[in-house]
Amino acid sequence: MDQGAVMRVKDLVKHYGAVRAVDGVSFDVPRAEVFTLLGPNGAGKTTTLEILEGIRDADSGEIEVFGERVRRVDRATKERIGVLLQEGNFEPYLRVKEVLALFASFFRTARSPDEMLRAVALEEKAGALVKTLSGGQKQRLAIGVALINDPELVFLDEPTTGLDPQARHNIWSIVSQLTASGKTVILTTHYMEEAEALSQAVCIMDHGKVIAHGTPRELTSRLGQDTIIEFFVPEEVEFPSTLTAHCALARGDAGLVSTHTADLAATLAHLLDWSRASGISLAQMAVRQPNLEDVFLSLTGRRLRT
Amino acid sequence: MKDVFAVARTQLVCSLRERITLFWFLAFPLLLLCLLGLIFANVGKPQSLSFDVTVVDLDRGADGARFGAGALHALQELAGSGETGEKPLFRLREPAPGVDIERYVAEELDALRVGKRDAVVVIPAGFTAALVAAAAEAGREAAPATRIEVHTSGGRTSSGMALGIIEQIVARVDREILSQLGLYRLDQSVAVGRIDVGAADKTVAYIDFLVPGILLMGFFVAGLFSVPGTLLFGRETRVLRRYWVTPLDVPRFLGGFALGHLALCAVQFACVVALARLAFSAQVNFLQPLAWLYLVLGVVTFLAIGFLVTSLARTANAGMAIANIVNMPMMFLGGLFFPIGSVPPGLRVVLLANPVSYLADGLRASLGVSAPVFGHAASIAVPCAWIVGCVVVASFRLRWDVGK
Repeated sequence: MDQGAVMRVKDLVKHYGAVRAVDGVSFDVPRAEVFTLLGPNGAGKTTTLEILEGIRDADSGEIEVFGERVRRVDRATKERIGVLLQEGNFEPYLRVKEVLALFASFFRTARSPDEMLRAVALEEKAGALVKTLSGGQKQRLAIGVALINDPELVFLDEPTTGLDPQARHNIWSIVSQLTASGKTVILTTHYMEEAEALSQAVCIMDHGKVIAHGTPRELTSRLGQDTIIEFFVPEEVEFPSTLTAHCALARGDAGLVSTHTADLAATLAHLLDWSRASGISLAQMAVRQPNLEDVFLSLTGRRLRT
Repeated sequence: MKDVFAVARTQLVCSLRERITLFWFLAFPLLLLCLLGLIFANVGKPQSLSFDVTVVDLDRGADGARFGAGALHALQELAGSGETGEKPLFRLREPAPGVDIERYVAEELDALRVGKRDAVVVIPAGFTAALVAAAAEAGREAAPATRIEVHTSGGRTSSGMALGIIEQIVARVDREILSQLGLYRLDQSVAVGRIDVGAADKTVAYIDFLVPGILLMGFFVAGLFSVPGTLLFGRETRVLRRYWVTPLDVPRFLGGFALGHLALCAVQFACVVALARLAFSAQVNFLQPLAWLYLVLGVVTFLAIGFLVTSLARTANAGMAIANIVNMPMMFLGGLFFPIGSVPPGLRVVLLANPVSYLADGLRASLGVSAPVFGHAASIAVPCAWIVGCVVVASFRLRWDVGK
């Protein structure tokens, strides 16, 4: 176990009837890092997080937070954590600053609403009713609420789902500042690029279990030093054995074809020769390094967003 | 406590900012007050010249020309005009044969105090004989038996008018009887003992009867709809869940919610009473501890019923549907807008099980605008029983988060 862990979870189990939503999950969350639970919808990320946030009780398992073992997250622990829920709303007829003041009142010590308005760039919306805010503004307000008590540990459950790219990058910027100021973040996402951009540690979950964990580099290095080539061809195209003997071609959705190779030049030469000979173009060809999506694909045979 | 007050403020502010809530909690009671106040503006005012009078004739002597019989006959003549289609001047009541007269008189005097009678006339035993004796011995001080007791009620105008008419009738009968005996003298008349029994009921205009009903209706609607509205929609939209990941716990949230609700009801109270006083000249005076007890008991009872409805519903829409179903019988069979006595016997079961009936009855009785039907013990005990029952059921059934 990591002695510097802010939170340690061991053999966490949660059933919903016959469904084992969380099935023996264990991990350590290092201090002042972004720890990401990555997985598709229904993987058990949110249920795990809700147990750690104190919303639900686990059926079994151990939780240690801030060095103390707890049966469930209590009031004292809640004073030290901040939570951004995946699904959560505010009273639509409260003004933005009133929301921050309301949540500030729940904690023994809290930052001022004005300070939080500046931190999440909502000063101009201080007097606006919640119901008039855009999706991105609501999410920034939710982050402001999650940080109102200046927490040591912050839970961010799918913080950028449904946001446009600009709003997403605004949120990423706020998350990066959190770790820079020494806070620990537990993030869940099903966006692999978000996990790669923000995380120092990643735990990949599927069907309620942890199927891999490590730093993004450690996880992708499991796939070796291969390079990935991707391109599109019509779905009805058959590849000749002369080509597949040199490169293992995997078909994806909508005509996507990918192959891993340790010898990029040779594989590219085979592919281009076949394309010229058959007259079939290799549309949108891309050469890239493996990412977390590839790790998940290699572990489960499925893509994250399917 | 800052969290409790912050939740209370949120509850109040959001209610006052939301148009639908504002309409049902404030505009609707005020509109209903205006509507009923205008339609029934004249009910209970003394311009309808018809008096409820009880005559207790104890003058059962053997004299051929008994005064009591004469007085009764004169009053019956006035009461009888109703048969022609006009409203009779008097509605007379007399004790049935064999009843306990003392008890009957006491009950009638109680009815007089609460405005159900305008006068109670008692003709003492041996009155005619005493009258004749007094007339025969001119100048002698009238004996007690020659005094007719006319009981009236305080400053109630209708009671005062009834007294004036009864005095004229007494003088007429006196003249007729003494003239028959040849003893009539202009300078002698029957003494009428005017007895003011006090007023449990002053001039009760319908508006004074209506205001407590409108207030309780406002509290009822607020409790019945705002609890499921806030909690079930808050649960569905995960507004509540945001609270549960902070140190705020359910008891403190409930404390704040109830406090905010009480403040909302206080705003309702101020608006309804101000409108009733300014626009309809309502006289009802709420500065009475017992009335405050009933008002607070009403708020708490209806909050508890709101929690019961919330606990019975899986979704916000189901909660609103249940609230609507509960609303109609409880509100309209709770004596909020009309006296409880006018409810048909078949529906009295609903009325007797309905805490609204007891609260309305107790509040009006404490304000002196109507006679108590149930008594204060029942009017407090029944709503308290509802509170306990609702809280017990709700505490077992209510879920504070989806999927829990």
